[in-house]
Amino acid sequence: MASLGETLTARKRAGKGSLLAYLMAGTVPPERYLEAVDRLRASGVTGIEVGFPFSDPIAEGPVIQRAASESLRLGFRWEALMSLLPQISSRVPTAVMTYLNIFHHRGVPAALEDLSRGGATAVIIPDLPVEEAGPFRSAGKRSHVDPVLLASPGSAHGRVEQIARGTRGFLYVVSRYGTTGVVNAKAIDPARSSPELSGILTGARKVRPRLPLLVGFGVSQPEDVRRYRGMGADGVIVGSAFQSLLTEANGPGRLADMASDLVNALEAPHG
Amino acid sequence: MPERYGKYGGTYVPETLVPALTELEKGWRAARRDPKFQRELRSLEATWGGRPTPLYRADRLSAEMGGAEIYLKREDLVHGGAHKLNNALGQGLLARRLGKQRLIAETGAGQHGVATAMVGALLGLRTEVYMGKVDMERQRPNVQRMRLLGTTVREVTQGTQTLKDAINEALRDWISNVESTHYLLGSAVGPHPFPSIVADFQSVIGREIARDSHRRFGDVPDLAIACVGGGSNAIGTFHPLLRTRTRLVGVEAGGAEGAMGAASLSRGTPGILHGMLTYLLQDAEGQILPTESIAPGLDYAGVGPEHSALKDAGRVEYTVATDEEALHAFHLLARTEGILPALEPCHALAEAMKQARKMRKDERIVVTLSGRGDKDLEVVARHGQPG
Repeated sequence: MASLGETLTARKRAGKGSLLAYLMAGTVPPERYLEAVDRLRASGVTGIEVGFPFSDPIAEGPVIQRAASESLRLGFRWEALMSLLPQISSRVPTAVMTYLNIFHHRGVPAALEDLSRGGATAVIIPDLPVEEAGPFRSAGKRSHVDPVLLASPGSAHGRVEQIARGTRGFLYVVSRYGTTGVVNAKAIDPARSSPELSGILTGARKVRPRLPLLVGFGVSQPEDVRRYRGMGADGVIVGSAFQSLLTEANGPGRLADMASDLVNALEAPHG
Repeated sequence: MPERYGKYGGTYVPETLVPALTELEKGWRAARRDPKFQRELRSLEATWGGRPTPLYRADRLSAEMGGAEIYLKREDLVHGGAHKLNNALGQGLLARRLGKQRLIAETGAGQHGVATAMVGALLGLRTEVYMGKVDMERQRPNVQRMRLLGTTVREVTQGTQTLKDAINEALRDWISNVESTHYLLGSAVGPHPFPSIVADFQSVIGREIARDSHRRFGDVPDLAIACVGGGSNAIGTFHPLLRTRTRLVGVEAGGAEGAMGAASLSRGTPGILHGMLTYLLQDAEGQILPTESIAPGLDYAGVGPEHSALKDAGRVEYTVATDEEALHAFHLLARTEGILPALEPCHALAEAMKQARKMRKDERIVVTLSGRGDKDLEVVARHGQPG
């Protein structure tokens, strides 16, 4: 199977938008997780981001925080990830998302080699700044795992370019100031972050025209997808909205419906 | 301002925080060189904050040990009752200079929360403090003080519901409100430039110790001891003494007898938490472990990165005191010197008592008494009076 980065790049070249779905591992039994993956895949999801829990996930909103605690409480550890990962990656291009200390503790090359053996082709680490990404790029090159970097609304112009040059696979564009998840009423008007977001997309395209640019954080509605596609994003990443359905009674069915709506919005004409 | 202390420190944060940290570093560099900023800080420290604090020779305590003379650096007499004000006032002025309208902070024992609440009121900045549910229950008087000072106290129910989780929540708030808000971090921890800024503002402790030691006995102390949670009062005590002959000892929380406590330097391994590479208490896969100490201000799985470097370099010795030893020190100080200390510096006192016995009568120990004990009366009472 092609890597996540290759898949996203091919879709971008063909003018197709992409949807990545984030699901924290370990909060439900493996069969249920894989059922959700199958339903998402059938609805047209391009890739899966497998969340691996960390005790102190500072970039996460309440939904993913709770999922991480629950996963750890249920005893989900690296070994469990290693047995789940091949079953996911044989179905769909797969990334793993977790925090830097997990890699620091195992050693970057060893951790990436493990993930590669599990079939993951990208890794997303919210607390890995571009300045520290070098070891991930060199180890990732050997293991064929792309370290994906994140750009934010506050990132200065030069910095966006530095991040776009430093990332591999695709660029994760953070939609707004805030943690992951659908925000409450006091949060920022989505229109407010738009100029900055456009700036990031434009800046990144300037230095890496072929690099897929995916917007995440707080994306949950078809209108979000249309708006970001309209701004020139090559796709979106949806996490908390899917995660909160995973543990519900008819979760996989509702996940599939939600994914279909989002995928339809990807393909809708924009401009 | 070093970004790293040896290999420790750094800036391991989500990209959203990078611009704010850059702005903060720039603002701090400018403020440091600005005589007007420094004058205002010194003036408020003196007229509002109660500095300088005395260096007190504890004769009855020293006699009880029968060895070295023990001096107490009386940070418990700073306005608000702890050394935390030194940093809160400095950073508050810095936040105002940067045009921020809102302060947020984390607090464990509540002393940093109270200091931030006082500074927020003084400077007219809206203030919100994150505090673990467990800590709110065991440090109730400080919750009440913050509220009376006009601060909103936000209860943190995630994770271990103590200091670590309060920092997580404060960081998440900052990520969401980074343009309007200054995160007034209370210890010498977190991403660069926080450890340097906090060390700078807290170094007033060590400068006064060095100056007063020379005035009182014509020399630096033979030994300086401070407690270490995140390590702000310790780094402030040690910094100005690093290039002298003074032996330096940091004391971590050992917790209950036989438990792991919160001793990241003594019992941990290097890892990345809260934006810094430093010694952490973590499991075999890098998950952060729950900690426990009778002193909420020391109850933290990490430690300031400069302490990690000072440990590796061997310049500072780090040791532990148990809950029981800290309580014993509390009662002894109360009865010999008429001072009710906070449980945090009782860990340093316990070590000073051990050391004093082994030292000569003409040698001198300075212990930083980082806070007063009013907040701990309930906890101490629950453990009963000594026999």
